[in-house]
Amino acid sequence: MTELETVVQPGCDFAALMREHRAMVFSVVYHFLHDRDTAEEIAQDVFLSLHRNLRAIQSAAHAGFWLRKVAVQRSIDASRKRMRRPQVALEDVAEPVARGVPADPMLGETLRRLIATLPETPRMVIVLRYQEDLDPTEIANLMAIPVSTVKSHLQRSLALLREKLVRRGVREE
Amino acid sequence: MDWLEDELRQALRRKDPSPDFEARVMAAARRRPVLTMPRWLAAAAALLVITSAGLGYRYHRGQAAKAQVMTAMRLTGSKLSRIQMQIKAARP
Repeated sequence: MTELETVVQPGCDFAALMREHRAMVFSVVYHFLHDRDTAEEIAQDVFLSLHRNLRAIQSAAHAGFWLRKVAVQRSIDASRKRMRRPQVALEDVAEPVARGVPADPMLGETLRRLIATLPETPRMVIVLRYQEDLDPTEIANLMAIPVSTVKSHLQRSLALLREKLVRRGVREE
Repeated sequence: MDWLEDELRQALRRKDPSPDFEARVMAAARRRPVLTMPRWLAAAAALLVITSAGLGYRYHRGQAAKAQVMTAMRLTGSKLSRIQMQIKAARP
């Protein structure tokens, strides 16, 4: 512990940064990849990368932004490397047998599974919007894409998810 | 707020990694030595060593060639002086 503390800058304590941001980094990767083990591995790599680049970090806020950006990039990279599961469009996902209105815990899992079938960019947009509560401008800045693209991905993904859920028998309240 | 957006926020709530995550990251970070020397300095040092070795080798080759030329000149000189002495001796 002391070896690590000697290399960090004042205000950028590595251990404290990890404690503060571990749930954010892990959840961005986990909700994007829907795979807990891979998410832990990637989250670990993200923090090790922070450790190597700690000298470039100017503040705790900068560290948060940096970690979120690297987590987004690593998640997308990992998704592209995953050749074992080909990308399936949300429209093509098979409908399960209707079993009436699902209970709330089931709805959460159903939603996470449906999100996992979205293509890369809209999937990450949804994760950043509803997990991190970022607005479209912040998402556009983080992912280096136009704000209009973020807004159209949000609208289209919400419409698709709504349609899928309604078809599964989830009523609108 | 839209019911679907509310459900998405619930479904995508932040989750913690496993309890030993922090310990594993700290252990892995400790295993990786922190590079105190800047990369450009390490590259410059390597370049200097390679250049010095190259120059040293060229100097060594130059010295060897110089020694060969000097030997050849000494041999030629001794032969010439011997011929000159024979010419002098043959004169009436």
